[in-house]
Amino acid sequence: MEIKGEQEFNGGRELLYELLLDPDVLASALPGVERFEEVAPDRYESTMRVGIASVRGTYTGRVEVLEQSPPESYRLRIEGSGKPGGIRADAVVDLSESGGGTTMHYRADVKARGTIARLGGRLLGGVARLLIGQFFKSIEQQVDDRAA
Amino acid sequence: MTIADGPALPKLIGERVKRREDPRLIQGQATYVDDIKLPGMLHLAFKRSDIAHGVIKSIDTSAAAEMEGVELVITGAELAEHLGPMPIGTPFPAPDHFSVATDKVRYVGEPVAVVVAEDRYLARDAADAIEVEYEELPAVVDPEVAMEPGSATLHEGFERNIAVESYWGGTGVNPETAQPEDDSAVDAAFEEADVLVTQRMLNQRLAPNAMEPRGVVAQYETGREYLTVWSATQNPHILRTLVAAMMGLGEHQVRAVAPEVGGGFGCKINIYGEEYVAAALSRLAGAPVKWIEDRTEAFLTTTHGRDLLGYIDLAAKSDGTITGLKARIIADIGAYEVLLTAMIPTLTGLMMNGVYRLPVVRHELTEVFTNKTPTDAYRGAGRPEGLYFLERAVDMLARELDMDPAEIRRKNFVPADEFPFATQSGLVYDSGNYEPCLDKALEVADWQGMLAERDAARAEGRIVGVGLSFYVEVCGLGPSAVVPTGGWEHSGVTVERGGKVTATTGASPHGQGNETTFAQMLADHFSIPLEDITILHGDTSVVKQGIGTFGSRSQAVGGAALISAAGKAGDKMKQFAAALMTDQEVSPEDLVFEDGRIQVEGAPEVSKTFAEVADFAYVPVPLPPGMEPGVSEESFFEPENNTYPFGCHISMVEIDRETGEPRLLKMVAVDDCGNVINPLIVDGQVHGGLAQGIGQAMFEEVVYDEDGQPVTASFMDYVMPRAADLPAFELDNTVTPTPVNPLGAKGVGEAGTIGSTPCVVNAAVDALAPFGVTHIEMPLRPERLWRLIQENGGQS
Repeated sequence: MEIKGEQEFNGGRELLYELLLDPDVLASALPGVERFEEVAPDRYESTMRVGIASVRGTYTGRVEVLEQSPPESYRLRIEGSGKPGGIRADAVVDLSESGGGTTMHYRADVKARGTIARLGGRLLGGVARLLIGQFFKSIEQQVDDRAA
Repeated sequence: MTIADGPALPKLIGERVKRREDPRLIQGQATYVDDIKLPGMLHLAFKRSDIAHGVIKSIDTSAAAEMEGVELVITGAELAEHLGPMPIGTPFPAPDHFSVATDKVRYVGEPVAVVVAEDRYLARDAADAIEVEYEELPAVVDPEVAMEPGSATLHEGFERNIAVESYWGGTGVNPETAQPEDDSAVDAAFEEADVLVTQRMLNQRLAPNAMEPRGVVAQYETGREYLTVWSATQNPHILRTLVAAMMGLGEHQVRAVAPEVGGGFGCKINIYGEEYVAAALSRLAGAPVKWIEDRTEAFLTTTHGRDLLGYIDLAAKSDGTITGLKARIIADIGAYEVLLTAMIPTLTGLMMNGVYRLPVVRHELTEVFTNKTPTDAYRGAGRPEGLYFLERAVDMLARELDMDPAEIRRKNFVPADEFPFATQSGLVYDSGNYEPCLDKALEVADWQGMLAERDAARAEGRIVGVGLSFYVEVCGLGPSAVVPTGGWEHSGVTVERGGKVTATTGASPHGQGNETTFAQMLADHFSIPLEDITILHGDTSVVKQGIGTFGSRSQAVGGAALISAAGKAGDKMKQFAAALMTDQEVSPEDLVFEDGRIQVEGAPEVSKTFAEVADFAYVPVPLPPGMEPGVSEESFFEPENNTYPFGCHISMVEIDRETGEPRLLKMVAVDDCGNVINPLIVDGQVHGGLAQGIGQAMFEEVVYDEDGQPVTASFMDYVMPRAADLPAFELDNTVTPTPVNPLGAKGVGEAGTIGSTPCVVNAAVDALAPFGVTHIEMPLRPERLWRLIQENGGQS
């Protein structure tokens, strides 16, 4: 399934780009993160706890940052698995200037397996939107903190 | 001399006797597999693949094995040292299929490892702790793409994923050469036709969804070297044969038991990997083991049904006479061939002659492997698919010619005086009389009134249509020539001391009500009360031999065996009775069973009670010359042919103009299953069948995404028909007995699923015909119907 959307931020895109790829920022911004480690340049391993309905569980995952083109775009290759199944996602993030702030466009092709897949669009889309929303809220806070 | 003054006993055959099974089943007093608890019993859980297609690179069982209470963790490769590939019951070539995958997985849900633990929950947790690494392969999901060169393949040696290919045409296969006859006549018929119908149709994949999921308990007794397997199966005797073979045991070392079984619908014919694994692991672990399927596992791993794609062509004259049929069928059989997988789609072509005289037929069948759950029998098993294709096509022809759907069928019926009738596919229909059945259905439904009602509704701006279908199907499977396990059935009848009767049947029921119908038959045969009769089934240590329950064979084959054994037991009772009445010079041939007595026909004063004679049989002093004590007889019945019941279904469907939601307003079924033992049970079978047939037409569909991930693996996503979706069914019947068994009974288990599906779709197409619609794919989803309305601008 495809998950896509856009989000407005107050700060400039250089700052946003930096924050979005800072392991410490990510570790604090991603919901339910228990561990987020850089295991090699641009490669991270993490443990996340998701507490929503049938996809509740602890997931271990790998994230690889590719095709970095600061401050405009980058690509993420994400793999995660836990008891309720797993996902693989290929995501592209584009940042563009808009007024004084930045507009982020994101598009991810998500392949799921196990219970997660069987729940399909009925639940996964909603859970993803919820988690992404929490993530953006936290990033927004950090942007504002830096600007202050 | 005593004459018992018992009450006159009414004849029970043909009466609506309530099912004797039901009180215990609905009061929680019945024993299903999950109710079986043995001392020291361990529990199995399966680690299953969550990808559709891939190579197993590694399996790490260490974390699972270390958990407290886990007795054993075993991978497919390790288990293969104890269990070989699973046997199948068809003569077609098949790839190796292990109970637990050894090197590759080919569908989501395929087991890769097994845990044996102290309780069910621990076993599940341990299975979750097993880590499997796969190298993923492209999933093969669309059967037509699967056949293209260059597509990923599931099995070595099965190029383009093709499992089975068959072809016959013209006037069928020449029995001498087994080659297709010259079929230029088919091409000629289509060239000369006044009118042609051409349609691609999908008969979609369904999940059988028995109320009770599968389950097995296995107990291997070391020292005794004896295995007992309790399983939710339709055929314990076949289970015994196959599990013995897989375990390297003789049939004398295996007892298979089907306790109460909560529905099967064909999906419990197959003997599954879990049954073999339970047997093998009980021997390995030295303890009884249990596995009970959960509902998600049922959706993922219990065989699916249907999934046939048909390219159907009909040729006809302008007066409606059908002159030819061409059918190209592609069967999506899933990842493996299990017990009857490859045979099921062959029944589709065999039965596509329907109730019509078809001068020429061409039939092509390709069975294709895909990365999906394997298919096997599901209520009707091949016949609903064929009759759906045919009855949809005939309906399209009627529409093309602006003929009444009843009249175009009447015009093409096989006439009553042509039975037994040989079809183009090589079958011989035993008996049939279609016109009275059609007339009765039209009368019961008030067809003319329905047409007027539809037209009046349309005038009000409502979207309403009427549909009709006429099916013939094949029941009473046998004979042995066509059933790989043997096509007979076995029964035993014992008259006990005190004149009570115990009978056994190999037709192991799972909802058919044999304990009632078979007792009705024996009650009438011996003229004793129903309460004096017990019918035992489902346990190979009690029922000496048997085949099982599928293809509506309980009554037509199992009932015939019962009556044959009862005849032998009755003869012996009469001999003992005559011996008791030597002073009256009575000959056994003069005796009849009447109201609990054995009496000289027409002379009740010359009689002995049934109980007296039974007591004498076990203490025969003096033993009549040439006789052995006791009355316990058995019989194998081998039918000479299948039976071919038929029927006419009529329905009315309304579609909401704004939402596209369909509503079934009326459902009439007039079925002919030959002689009826218990009309109440026949009605029950028709009710259930109609619900499932309507379920296919309107609601049900197993859906996979493009990666082979099933997205309909719960009742939230797979829509089952509910009572509120169904109108009160209007049932009636005609009676055309079969000559192939002494009962004249044909079978009725599948009837409802065969006639109703095309009937309801025909009604939906009729409803949308004013919008230019000529065909609608199943299920009749509101969205699909709404789009068809919108494509025409919402205007009829």
